[in-house]
Amino acid sequence: MKVWVWADVTPDGPAPSALELLTKARDLGDEVAAVALGPGAKASTDALGEHGAQTVYASDDEVFTKHLAQPAVHALAGLVEEHQPDLILFPASYDARDVAGRLQARTGSTLMANATDVLSPDKARTEILGGTKIVDVELKGPAPKLVLIRPQSFAAEPSGGTAEVVEVKADAPDDLKKAERLERHEEEASGPRLEDAKVVVAGGRGLGGPDAFEQLEKLAAAIGNAAVGASRAAVDAGWVPYSFQIGQTGKTVKPEVYICAGISGALQHMVGMKGAKRIVAITKDPDAPILKIADLGVVGDLFKVVPALTEEIEKRRAGS
Amino acid sequence: MAVVLFVGRVRPRVALVANARPAGRGAPTPDRITREITHVFLQKKLLQKLGPGLMHAFIFWGFIVLLPTIAEAAVAIVDKDSSLPILGDASWFAFVSDVFATLVVVGVAMAFFIRKVLKPDRFRGSHMEEADRILLLILAIVVTFLLWNASRIGFGIAEVPDARPVAHLLSNLFSSGEGTEFAERVLVWAHLLVILGFLVFLPGSKHLHIATAPANVWLAKDGPTGRLEPNRIDLELPEEDIRFGVATQKDLSRKQMLDLFSCTECGRCQEVCPAWATGKPLSPKLLIMDLRDRVVAEAAGEVELQPLVPNAVTDQVVWDCVTCGACVRECPVDIEHVDTIVDLRRNLVMAESRFPQEAAPMLRGVESQENPWGQPASARLDWAKDLDVRVLKEGDPAPEVLFWVGCAGAFDERAQKTTQSVARLLAAAGIDSAVLGPREKCTGDPARRMGHEYLFQMLAEQNVETLNGAGVTKIVASCAHCFNTLANEYPDYGGTYEVVHHTQLLSELIAAGRLQPRTGDGKITYHDACYLGRHNGEFDAPREVIGGEIEEMPRNRERSFCCGAGGARMWMEEESPRINDTRFEEAAATGAETVATACPYCLVMLDDAAKGKSSDIRVADVATLLAESTAIDPR
Repeated sequence: MKVWVWADVTPDGPAPSALELLTKARDLGDEVAAVALGPGAKASTDALGEHGAQTVYASDDEVFTKHLAQPAVHALAGLVEEHQPDLILFPASYDARDVAGRLQARTGSTLMANATDVLSPDKARTEILGGTKIVDVELKGPAPKLVLIRPQSFAAEPSGGTAEVVEVKADAPDDLKKAERLERHEEEASGPRLEDAKVVVAGGRGLGGPDAFEQLEKLAAAIGNAAVGASRAAVDAGWVPYSFQIGQTGKTVKPEVYICAGISGALQHMVGMKGAKRIVAITKDPDAPILKIADLGVVGDLFKVVPALTEEIEKRRAGS
Repeated sequence: MAVVLFVGRVRPRVALVANARPAGRGAPTPDRITREITHVFLQKKLLQKLGPGLMHAFIFWGFIVLLPTIAEAAVAIVDKDSSLPILGDASWFAFVSDVFATLVVVGVAMAFFIRKVLKPDRFRGSHMEEADRILLLILAIVVTFLLWNASRIGFGIAEVPDARPVAHLLSNLFSSGEGTEFAERVLVWAHLLVILGFLVFLPGSKHLHIATAPANVWLAKDGPTGRLEPNRIDLELPEEDIRFGVATQKDLSRKQMLDLFSCTECGRCQEVCPAWATGKPLSPKLLIMDLRDRVVAEAAGEVELQPLVPNAVTDQVVWDCVTCGACVRECPVDIEHVDTIVDLRRNLVMAESRFPQEAAPMLRGVESQENPWGQPASARLDWAKDLDVRVLKEGDPAPEVLFWVGCAGAFDERAQKTTQSVARLLAAAGIDSAVLGPREKCTGDPARRMGHEYLFQMLAEQNVETLNGAGVTKIVASCAHCFNTLANEYPDYGGTYEVVHHTQLLSELIAAGRLQPRTGDGKITYHDACYLGRHNGEFDAPREVIGGEIEEMPRNRERSFCCGAGGARMWMEEESPRINDTRFEEAAATGAETVATACPYCLVMLDDAAKGKSSDIRVADVATLLAESTAIDPR
């Protein structure tokens, strides 16, 4: 069974999804390979090899990132025809989806999106009916079966090993280079993602403005590996972007510790963080609903409490 | 030949409607008959806007009155001295047809004035040239009619020349000589040819509404508009036999199909839609037009049969809807936009799993913990911990009134205040009531409005079992959505109870002297909840509970502007400008210090808006205002 993984790579190395998919691929086939196209591919081969890729078809040519999908599909289609893999796993990134869709149009084989698991080279699993029912899906049709996997469906585990690197020629014809990526903008995400962070520091209406979020950033930095979030009020007021929003229509977080300041704890916010193991709430309102669910509630002026907390943590970390 | 062409052109339309799924309505109930008379013949909905209403009424009534004159003209074409039996010589009919023909001219002039001078925004997206053509054809019909009669008077062959005032006036244009004799022939032929030409043009234009609208009004829902009709999901049936909402035009019902061909692009719905008013792409008018155009193109073989979403309308447009029903209320031909939107959602959610992902936690919560916030059922009595509230356990005797708290009333800290006020008021009035506590499950309203009909069905069946098992006969609900679902939708699932909204019960208790009325100064405005007001016709009870003078917002009662939470949008992100902010601004502009609400959704949405603007205006339920004023609630 030849199982391939489409590996997203950047000059910083392989995306975590590549390593996760390779870990899964090892369970599904005995011949595992990765396809990595774009700057950073060759530098990623070590990591890809350590996670199970026996072969990495790689090219550092920037044509693969400069132009959307088509040169990559051209190269991938060529590799597929030459080596005839049985199954190819794709991560759910925008670029990978583009490539998978176009490859499917060429191969005429089956493409399944939104898979949460792959049970065998011709069976995958997903959720339907609003995420309330799990269904197993048979992948019929010719090889290669193509499966788009939901983010973070698997854990990445190295298996040791090295990969043989096979150079891929970047020889896409010019008519495939018509769509050019002019600019790439990534929203500043320093530190761990909100959903993954073990400690979350969140601010709400009580902060009064965007500047106060700096205080929270300092606190998060002092704690280390903490992410900063916000209630809807702060996002609506334009103090922080929507990616910070925790709550009913924002992110759901389940950190070890959730520290919030200036958040009243309305139900709509609570549903996004009630799974936290420990909740610390700083508010000047003694009747705030958040205090009912907080493990430690501090009724006071957050502009005094937060900096004091930060200072104390910094002191203790320096001391230890 | 015109008739042949007409039949040929109209037949595909008729086929589309006839071949669609039966709507299961149409039995002549008293409501239906009354509605047909008032909406069609008395033009009731058109007259909701007086000017345009009169404009249309003149043209419509003119059309009805002048129908026999088509036969008159046909007879006169064959033999210019002949006339219709009975009507032909009747002066009253001559007079009436003359007057009404003139009214039609007035109507057309008014229509052009509205369209060309006033240019209301509701016409944005409508086909204006087609409308102009129709108006001109109508004008041509009545003008040729009047001139024809004028020429007959002029030439001296009119049957009852003195009975037609306007034609008589116009007859001064015609001498009594040969020129007029010729003109009379030209005019009668022109008159009939325009009519026949119109007949041929009719099926392909929105003027087909003259045939479809009366049928559409007939097939409109009986009963409160808040009720959605069930789309039963029986998983024991083979999959091909289960309908999951509407995917392609083949899934549309006859009523839904007829809706598409009744639309006259008037835009009254567009004008009142809260989504459209806040810059969202949803316009009920454009939705119907887009569906219609796609259905017609597919039926004509111009494009392939495809799912209506996204090929006729986009996903976003389907999700923008708050199901407030303002569009349905305004529509002169009783199009039921909300029903179609929900049916489209049903397919997107149940068959495609394609919906705004931020609503997924709500659906999961409703399914697993039977409430949209995924809170534990045991917490449903938290609001009652300092109160003496009877909890109905299994086997207990049924109370006189079951107090249905609702999920918001149980779990949302702001709505809990309303629940506590209502409980205290019921106790003060000596009402024998109880709550179900942890046995209460979400009525399923948010899931149903979202399109997850299957989840709703499960909850409805479970709740009905609980209620019937407990012997409940009367229910008071403090949430407008619960009220609507329990009263109007649960009977479809075997649960029929006398259901009242808390404002209705409180109003009755005040009138009966069992509760003190509210006193107090300070300016108050009242926000009509869509699911209590427009959808269920209750505007007075909450006002009676508030008592005293209310600073009414411009958009009140049936024209109330939604708070933005309906249609499960409470659980979806909305782009600025927001519906709740817009409504709150309207409330604040009345100068009121307090905004009174009657539904927890409205309470939370307007309170959020107030906080977002750092406003001092207080938003509170009418029950809380009453309870505080009468010292039943601690202030």
